[in-house]
Amino acid sequence: MLVVSDLSKTYAPGGEPAMAGLDFTVGEREFVCIVGSSGCGKTTMLRCLSGLIPPTEGSIELEGRAVQGPPEDMAYVFQDYSRSLLPWQTVAGNVSFPLKYKGLSKAEAAAATEEALAAVGLADRGRSYPWQLSGGMQQRVAIARALAYKPRILLMDEPFASVDAQTRAELEDLLLDIWRRFEITVLFVTHDIDEAVYLSQRVLVLHKPAHVFEAIDVDLPAERDQMDTKKLPRFGELRSRVLASLRAPDTTSA
Amino acid sequence: MQPSAVPAPVHRGEVSTPAAGSPRTAGAGPTPVAGPRGSAGRNDGPKEPGRARARLYRFGLGLAGVVGVIALLELVVRLGLLPEAWFPPPSEIFPAFARLVVSGELFGPVGQTLQGWVLGILAAAAVALPLGIAIGSIELAHRLTRFMLEFLRPIPPVALIPAAVLIFGSNLDMKVFLIAFGTFWPILLQTVYGIHDTDPTLRDTARSYGLPRRARLVRIVLPSALPYIATGLRIASAIGLILAITAELVVGTPGIGVSITDAQSAGDAQDVMYAWILAAGLLGFLLNGSLQAVERRVLHWHTSFRGEAR
Repeated sequence: MLVVSDLSKTYAPGGEPAMAGLDFTVGEREFVCIVGSSGCGKTTMLRCLSGLIPPTEGSIELEGRAVQGPPEDMAYVFQDYSRSLLPWQTVAGNVSFPLKYKGLSKAEAAAATEEALAAVGLADRGRSYPWQLSGGMQQRVAIARALAYKPRILLMDEPFASVDAQTRAELEDLLLDIWRRFEITVLFVTHDIDEAVYLSQRVLVLHKPAHVFEAIDVDLPAERDQMDTKKLPRFGELRSRVLASLRAPDTTSA
Repeated sequence: MQPSAVPAPVHRGEVSTPAAGSPRTAGAGPTPVAGPRGSAGRNDGPKEPGRARARLYRFGLGLAGVVGVIALLELVVRLGLLPEAWFPPPSEIFPAFARLVVSGELFGPVGQTLQGWVLGILAAAAVALPLGIAIGSIELAHRLTRFMLEFLRPIPPVALIPAAVLIFGSNLDMKVFLIAFGTFWPILLQTVYGIHDTDPTLRDTARSYGLPRRARLVRIVLPSALPYIATGLRIASAIGLILAITAELVVGTPGIGVSITDAQSAGDAQDVMYAWILAAGLLGFLLNGSLQAVERRVLHWHTSFRGEAR
């Protein structure tokens, strides 16, 4: 459903490319994680994929249509939830404000907001302000906002990087649950190898400048569990493979 | 309400020390200074008794400070450390002020000063806000105007008084022009900064959810610039009052300033002159307090007010 071909981005003419020859495909309802060391161009990649900035070269197709601006079928969850939520709006207001511009009526927007907040377990916090909630809850609000927008694909930029380990595990399981129930496609960027293997069906390892060095299929049982899945020998093997791939000297680019 | 509340502790201050006066005054008055603060108190919901007591304590200390200084002034004048001919003691100023209130004499000039203040700031805001939004959101306009603004801003508005008198004569128009010129800059610059400082993540969020340009301005950029604009208005408020009274003093446009010069030239009415000065001070205090109260309500979500709203 998402086809990225030969995508490159160079900010200053003649300068170092931030992204060079990025190629990958994401299938319908797939959960794909992208890992890469910091500074490898993940942010540039995400900004291009989400249509916020144009690539220098290459193309992005979502459901057969070229991405030229922010697509309607895509919702972007930012890493910095505290900065992507509007502090002057209530939780419900934060979830519903984009819906009006998608053409939903007030009643439809209210219903979608209610459903999305219930899905992330915040049904009773609609009237709170984001800054009255914990970090984990704020990120749930951001996820609810994305869900209410009813995207086909969810783009997530290290969304759980700044919460504590316990909250993070809860949010991971919440996300898996949402991914199944809402039948959406997820493209999840993280620098945490455990998280990438635990969540996804496929891990794309990025090298600098952003390009796919290796794609690793995650052949773990579909049903994931924080304790049991992580105890499997296969989980350990996959982890090591991703780590090795991240550290491997690059042979694909000059 | 102000005048009757204030002189009472002063007389007490004469007999007892300021320190002894403080517990009594703390019990006496949640009203005058608490005005702006009270609005935030209502948002508190279930109020813990400990916090209420702490607030009362803080308020009591503040009031004790005021009473203490008034008592000290009284003492200094009564002891002859300051010549009484030029510095009437507070116990004469406050009654003079009370007489101005009772006779209604106070309200005409205060109204005239206030009128200039309101019209001047409205005129400034009507131009500065849209202009600031435009400059703040159009990068080219921002770069083009930056140096010019930095150059025009430091011109002391009072330097324009002679020109303003030539153009407008010594009437209300002249006062309004002066205030509008002086308050234009803080409102404009704060608006530009506020618009320009909108968090890029917020802008990206709005764009990624497909908000059109206009909606991004109204729903994202303006609200996030509002705290800056509010600060601009509060600075403008203080400058506006200074300029109003300056225009009145220097040019003789009717208002508090004229009443001050009239009292001065009346010879032995020093206490009346100081009563007018007191009126100017109280007006500034009330204007600032009201603006802060509005700010606290509108910007209850902002980091600087969250503690009180919770």
